[in-house]
Amino acid sequence: MKQRLFALLWLAVVLAAGSHVGLSAWRGLALQSDLLALLPAEERQPMVQQAKDHMAAQVSGRVAILVGHADAASAFGAAQILRDSLMGQGLLADAGDVPQAQALRQLGGLYHPHRAGLLAPADRQALLDGNPQALAERTLSQVFGIGGMADARLLSADPYLLLPAFMTSLPVPASRLTLVDGWPSVSVDGITWVLVSGRLTGRAFGLSDQQAFVDGYARAAQLAEAQAPGLRLLRLGAVFYAQAGAAQAMAETSFIGVISTIGTVLLLLVVFRSLSPLLLSLLAIGSGLLVAVSATLLVFGFLHVTAAIFGASLIGITVDYSLHYFARLFAEDDPRQRLRHVGTGLILGLLTTLIGYGALALAPLPGLRQVAVFSAFGLIAAFVAVILWFPLLDQSRHRPLPPLFDRLGRGFWGLWDQQGRRLLLLGLVALALLGAARLRIDDDVRRQQALDPILAGEQAQLQAIAGFAGGGQFYLVKAADTQTALRQEEALGERLTELRRQGVLADWRSPARFVPSMQRQVDNIRLVQQHLDGAPLAQLSAAIGLPMVLAPVASEMLDLGRVMETGAMPVLSGLVLAPGVHVVAVDNAGDLAKLREAADGLDGVNFIDPVADMGILLGQYRQRALWLLAASLVLMQPLLMWRYGVRGGLWVMVPPLAAMLLTPPLLALVGLPFTFFAAMALVLVASIGVDYAVFCAESGQGRDPLTILATLLATLTTVLSFGLLAFSGVEGVRSFGAVMLTGIVLSALLAPLAGRVRPRRAYNWRGRHD
Amino acid sequence: MIRCLFLFVLLWPSAAQADPVSLKPGEILRGHFVQERFLAGFAQPVRSEGRFVLAPGQGLIWQGDKPFAVLTVITPAGMAQSLGGKETMRLSATKAPFLARLHQVMAGAMAGDWRALDGEFALSRQDDQVTLLPRRPDMAQPVKAIRARIGAFVEEVEVEKPEGDRDHLVFSRQSIDQGPLTTDEAAAFAGLR
Repeated sequence: MKQRLFALLWLAVVLAAGSHVGLSAWRGLALQSDLLALLPAEERQPMVQQAKDHMAAQVSGRVAILVGHADAASAFGAAQILRDSLMGQGLLADAGDVPQAQALRQLGGLYHPHRAGLLAPADRQALLDGNPQALAERTLSQVFGIGGMADARLLSADPYLLLPAFMTSLPVPASRLTLVDGWPSVSVDGITWVLVSGRLTGRAFGLSDQQAFVDGYARAAQLAEAQAPGLRLLRLGAVFYAQAGAAQAMAETSFIGVISTIGTVLLLLVVFRSLSPLLLSLLAIGSGLLVAVSATLLVFGFLHVTAAIFGASLIGITVDYSLHYFARLFAEDDPRQRLRHVGTGLILGLLTTLIGYGALALAPLPGLRQVAVFSAFGLIAAFVAVILWFPLLDQSRHRPLPPLFDRLGRGFWGLWDQQGRRLLLLGLVALALLGAARLRIDDDVRRQQALDPILAGEQAQLQAIAGFAGGGQFYLVKAADTQTALRQEEALGERLTELRRQGVLADWRSPARFVPSMQRQVDNIRLVQQHLDGAPLAQLSAAIGLPMVLAPVASEMLDLGRVMETGAMPVLSGLVLAPGVHVVAVDNAGDLAKLREAADGLDGVNFIDPVADMGILLGQYRQRALWLLAASLVLMQPLLMWRYGVRGGLWVMVPPLAAMLLTPPLLALVGLPFTFFAAMALVLVASIGVDYAVFCAESGQGRDPLTILATLLATLTTVLSFGLLAFSGVEGVRSFGAVMLTGIVLSALLAPLAGRVRPRRAYNWRGRHD
Repeated sequence: MIRCLFLFVLLWPSAAQADPVSLKPGEILRGHFVQERFLAGFAQPVRSEGRFVLAPGQGLIWQGDKPFAVLTVITPAGMAQSLGGKETMRLSATKAPFLARLHQVMAGAMAGDWRALDGEFALSRQDDQVTLLPRRPDMAQPVKAIRARIGAFVEEVEVEKPEGDRDHLVFSRQSIDQGPLTTDEAAAFAGLR
């Protein structure tokens, strides 16, 4: 009676959780899919994080397509169709990255009154070097040569042509493309390539936006190809990769999911010859998931997709509890008897697993904390469902254990009884030692993601044709005010000029190159007056036969804020994050160490390489995950020692620990590196492996074949769901899957060793055994 | 300015025969020039003279000898200028997009493809006079009009600019040879790549 009451109460709890989840879903579930949200914000340097996000958004939102055709007119026509279609569908917006003639003229008008303080870096250097003659010679060659920009009006107002030189020194993004009728284009090997570029209107990493863009692009490309048969298209943009990656993940997940589901269902049906174990297992996991989602939403207010997927996999372990319960079908007729028989094992398994996952919450990582909360609630809910509902709902009758399973179970218990087999273990250890020498750690985030090879090929081709370069490295300049920031950029610029001479970088874009600091402008005026006025000017004037005067000094200096207000230089809005907080973008970065060094000693200037920083972060997480793993193993000890005594508690730990220690070096033998994802898999291997060992320790005395049956079933289902990930095309996932596959199989194989332990007879368990 | 330069550059070969025919690939045009630049408001022009080399597909070398040794090299990749062997200016085609277009139009016109020109200029011919007028005078065209006199080659060109400046060029001693370029000339083109 009491049992029924509790079962109903628990049903009410699960239903409440269900309606909470349903209601939240109806209101719009607060789902997070941005991977970055799982990582801790760089608390000490929020500005760095903001700058990275800003740059990442800028980069990920960009799309570039090269349209190529042997016939130039067809290429331009197709580019027009493509752009019209993409913009007409509302998928692409002008990014303002192609300098329009009008904007350039507007900029000229903006700079002209302030030209006295504007010097191209090379001109300034010539004056600093005391070589004003070089500037006079430039004017002479412009006037007497051909193709000069000098006319009478320009010469008399700017005799040394300082403003045109400044304008051409502005760092517009380097590329091999040139403007033809407003289209950036280039001709290579008889093919005219035209660039269609812009900014996504949606989010590059939003699944629906991705799909909408890629579908819309396909329609647009079809239109363009219909107009110009033989058209070639090269794509560049995070959105293409993200969509391809998501599509691959979906395909893999559904493929693995289908195989794993079919396999698990068949397995349960073949072993139990009844549907109810399957349905009840699903009920336990389902109620666990509902409670987990509800609890996570209550605690965090939002649900992170990755955390939920990982947490759900953890809850998947609860199917093992069902398996142990249903293995008793072969022994007892009364459901309550079945539960009683496996109850202690279940509780110990749950508690060790909770400790294992609970350790994740110790990490200062918001993502892992959510995983911990999610899986803890899910595990407890699934466990409660097993102990409260199964005895009531389970109508299955007792059935005889098929002789095959009986032989299997008894044989497996004796797996390590023979001396010769134990030597095999030594061989395994020797192999692992061999592998340990070859163990390689890989934290490179670029290799952890799958890049579509077709897209990567197109990108390489596009970059070669257009001369684009990516990398995403930049300097972050933080200063109290705009002027200080500009002065720091000018100091940095001097070092970068030298590095450019050495070929370390192609160019850089800083706000100061578009608008020099006030101090620099005043200094420029001084240099010009000191070196170029007077006699040199008179000489130049005489050589050409034209009266000349230097540019008048404007009443006020050129101001960054004012230039930005005009909108003539859209590039500036990408470089200025806040007053005094600027970005200096680097093109074609080579030696990163030298670039990092260039910021040394400059207050508030930091070199930032998002990809490398991500790698460093993954490395830190990998280490932290291992520390957490160690901590959780230690935390499980009191519980195990309480049950099995000091030596018994330690002994139970041996099989899972051996599996964990052997797995990475064994995988190294086949060339698999150790990654953050491998470390996370080890956390799972630990809690599952301890479960196997505990169940064996609980029933080792009688060498109950049913325990082995349940454990092997658990192993098979886990291999079906996780182990198959070892065949994923995504390296991170593959790494995770391979560790699961190897670790779980080793844990199961070694688990019978834990059967030597006796509960509560810890002090003389060895004597009893021998 | 550069645009008008190449417009008359491509008139040369067309004038050699009745139909606009091109220099064949590998052929090189050499000659002498006298340039007079009339700056607005000044009667006395700025005068220079020297030699030029035009190699289709490669570029143009404009070597002033008097009064200053000013060398200008224009290729699809950009433009460089030097005075007495010292570089005074270098512009890549990325900074001045029309430089790359220069090569494209030049190559096209020499193959008898006048469409590139047609877009921006209206071409009219009367006897040995050719006149080019920009189609969109409202645009910031660096050129108001180009007039050329054509004999065996293009003999004389006048470029009228909007601010009242005017360039007058007279060409002489022109000849076509089969190449190859001298090492200096080849090096000048290669230096811009």
